[in-house]
Amino acid sequence: MAPKKKDEPGFSRRSFLKTVGAGGVAAGVLGPASTAEGQNVKAIGPAASPIQLNVNGKFHRLEVEPRVTLLDALRTRLNITGPKRVCDRGSCGACTVILDGRTVYSCSMLAIEAQGKVIRTAEGLTEGTVLHSVQRAFCDHDGLMCGFCTPGFVTAAVALLEKNPKPTRQEARKALDGNICRCGTYPRVLEAALNPKSAAGVKRG
Amino acid sequence: MARRRKKLEAGSWKLEAGTQQQPPPAAQAAPPPAPQGPPRNWPPVADRTLIGKSIKRLDGPDKAQGKAKYTYDIIRPGMLYGRLLGSPHAHARIKGIDLSAAEKLAGVKAVLALKDPAGEGANGKAFYQGDEIAAVAATTEEIAEDAVRLIKVEYEPLQALATAAQAMSADAPAVFPKGNVSQQSLQQEGDVEAALKSAAHIVEGTYSTQVQTHTSLETHGGICEWEGEKLTAWVSTQAVHGARDGIAGSLKIPQTNVRVITDYMGGGFGSKLGFDYQVVVCARLAKLANAPVKLMLNRKEEHLVTGNRPSAYAKVRAGVDAKGKLVAFDAETWGTGGAGAGAAFRVPYPIYVFPSRRQRHRDAYTNAGPQRAFRAPGHPQASFITEVVLDELADKLRLDPLELRMRNVLSATDPSQEDPSRQWRKYFPMGAEKIGWSKRHPTGDPASGPIKRGMGCAGNTWGGAGSRATRANCQILPDGSVLARIGTQDIGTGTRTLVAIVAAETMGLPLTGVKAEIGDTNYPFAPGSGGSVTVASVSATMRIACENARDELFAKVAPALGVEPSALAAKDGRIQVKDAPSKGMTWREACKLLGVQPISADGAFGPGLSSTGTSGVQFADVEVDIETGVTRVKRIVCVQDCGTIMDKLTAESQVYGGIIMGLGFALYENRILDRNTARMVNPNMEWYLLPGMSDIPEIDITLVDQPDRGPVGLGEPPVISTAAAVANAVANAIGVRVRKLPLSPDAILQALNEERTGGTL
Ligand code: FES
Ligand code: FES
Repeated sequence: MAPKKKDEPGFSRRSFLKTVGAGGVAAGVLGPASTAEGQNVKAIGPAASPIQLNVNGKFHRLEVEPRVTLLDALRTRLNITGPKRVCDRGSCGACTVILDGRTVYSCSMLAIEAQGKVIRTAEGLTEGTVLHSVQRAFCDHDGLMCGFCTPGFVTAAVALLEKNPKPTRQEARKALDGNICRCGTYPRVLEAALNPKSAAGVKRG
Repeated sequence: MARRRKKLEAGSWKLEAGTQQQPPPAAQAAPPPAPQGPPRNWPPVADRTLIGKSIKRLDGPDKAQGKAKYTYDIIRPGMLYGRLLGSPHAHARIKGIDLSAAEKLAGVKAVLALKDPAGEGANGKAFYQGDEIAAVAATTEEIAEDAVRLIKVEYEPLQALATAAQAMSADAPAVFPKGNVSQQSLQQEGDVEAALKSAAHIVEGTYSTQVQTHTSLETHGGICEWEGEKLTAWVSTQAVHGARDGIAGSLKIPQTNVRVITDYMGGGFGSKLGFDYQVVVCARLAKLANAPVKLMLNRKEEHLVTGNRPSAYAKVRAGVDAKGKLVAFDAETWGTGGAGAGAAFRVPYPIYVFPSRRQRHRDAYTNAGPQRAFRAPGHPQASFITEVVLDELADKLRLDPLELRMRNVLSATDPSQEDPSRQWRKYFPMGAEKIGWSKRHPTGDPASGPIKRGMGCAGNTWGGAGSRATRANCQILPDGSVLARIGTQDIGTGTRTLVAIVAAETMGLPLTGVKAEIGDTNYPFAPGSGGSVTVASVSATMRIACENARDELFAKVAPALGVEPSALAAKDGRIQVKDAPSKGMTWREACKLLGVQPISADGAFGPGLSSTGTSGVQFADVEVDIETGVTRVKRIVCVQDCGTIMDKLTAESQVYGGIIMGLGFALYENRILDRNTARMVNPNMEWYLLPGMSDIPEIDITLVDQPDRGPVGLGEPPVISTAAAVANAVANAIGVRVRKLPLSPDAILQALNEERTGGTL
């Protein structure tokens, strides 16, 4: 799903729905359509079934019940804990991952639905020991305090710059409106995202 | 009030003696006397290589890469997942708890009842939604959730008190054993009634602020792992030592048997200062299951049971004389901190001089999760009430509210002396200049169209002194490495980096030459990170430990250089003779002289390296749409001091953070309880609104460095005056006074509706 266009002048993030994974809430709403489509599909669950996830360039085999979210699969099964669980219902962005080039809230997508997709988390942005340019900019600008929201912000910023290497201030704000920080790092997160050095290290996706 | 008891003795209110409110719990504990030692100093300003510069956070890369492991992220071998069952009712008698079905579920390893249907008082009752009834531990989180659903609890729902007004009403049911309302406390100075009679102008009104929840992104909780009778607990806490003592006390085991570790933690803002019941439950589950257990609260539980900023109400009468001198402030105040918890705040806010003042306060208890310390407890509430009253008095006088502040703000006790902790008289004009105060229209934006613009301001004060109980350890190893250890914790403020800055500065090494180790009760005692005591406690004590270690090294090196140890200096990675810098050796060469025996030196907090008392002001420039009631803050200007700035970069972040949290308090955040059931309507993050990226105005920070004072805490001050400044700016924009927070669209439209003609202004 493409991110919805936010209203102008956009008083806040709340007028904006960030891309939510195709599963979770959205699947519920789209019930009839998915049933029709699913008629040829073998039913799985409720017991755990084997799945394969492509995370940060590595394939992982794991067994999860269909109800397990992508976030929980990453965190508790694969020990990939960059994505954080904060609201667990699509309203804070701490669990943001990049899935086939787009940001999704991994708390709002089922792990079984993420099969066959290319999943990237904050951990996977680093090349060897070299920080991604966006991660470096977050450190340089102090766009992180307690750091709990940081992997989510970093991934959202990277996804933005991969699509749009020269965002305006307004575009960057909108792209980051789906992430919440309680420590109040926003001004510096924005500086980090807008620092040209950030975009310089980004591969166009 | 029916329940009002006899008046308490009037407490004297020594405003001039000190502007601070109660010290935080950590500072209250009777500290051991700090040992005497040589006089201590920071290096002269010109010689400082790190202190006061913009130093990047040492743990930034780990955080940005998602590598930093928070309590929530840690997985121990064989670890189980714990979950709580909380009461769905805000007030209920527990008539039965049946755990059997949960116990039988495959994968469940431990189940505990936390209430006793036969129990007395709180033991057999739930006093607020989320009050813990039972807990389980299972092999996966999903199974733990299933198990919680299988627990059968029989509740007898009882009438609940949702609001302070309900609690205080004469026909309220008796909910709390000691009454629904506390005794009235009285603070007074001078004869308020006489002073009010003499006033040229009087403002009367009722002012209020809402309940705000901390909403730390990492929820409360921990991981508990037993090895025999020894417990290791990874806890998301602001006080590793406090957590250890609380856990040991609750479990009735020796403190030596408990080790608490907090490597990274995702925010606390005061709510993680006390030790947590959940972690004790977690430890009991782990014992029962004979396996490590992780128990982290979910978002709903976090809103319900981990504390909040209590509400505040004040019925005020305040007077000013014809010359613009404040004469009296009289307030009847109340508020609710939830079930059995206080809601204290002090008005008038103590940076303005009201020669006569009186506050009569009562706490109203409601069926909601008890309050906890929240960043500058009491201050934002008191600041809002006082600063809004001040603006209203200025309007009555037809005087610029800034001028009224200048005439009445506290200044140095001795006017011939400069008091670095009372700089408002200097900062108000600085802020005014930056925000363009001269362009402020006297009242109500006269421009046509629905968008109205206005400006307002407010001031703040805080203590932030160090704790004398603080201890630290510094080791110099034969290979030249330096280890700085202290049992403090980094709650997002940059404490880890601060420890390294102090150690490196003292040793004359680059930051990379030292290693800071914190967040573990195996390290020397440091107070909980609350009350903004950390920077002063940690900097001063670590400086002393490092100087002690360095002096031992000097003693080793001096004979080799043929000088007295006191002639040596550690600078630029060398140990050298002060007066002949070419005479010396590299740090590494010096450390080699240690042979096999490292230096290990302790430090105890001592005077002279830190200070107390801060002052600051904030200005807001806002736009209000009078058709929709939506307020948009355009700009915040802040002038703030904090003694010696240790790390400019992280200090500024602290100020941004405080202001943004203040914006949440001003405009968005509001814990809403259903007025019939006292259940929370918005225990999530889509209806409990925090500021987001597009809500952030331009923020202009001037941090005033006072390099000779030593550091003073900065965590709390910046959150205090934002809401007050915004509220005054809103009134200046729309010509109508909104006397309650948050300044939500409905509150603004309602105020406009009630006072279309701008009645109060
Ligand atoms: S945890 Fe997924 S959006 Fe909050
Ligand atoms: S840095 Fe703490 S929540 Fe964003």
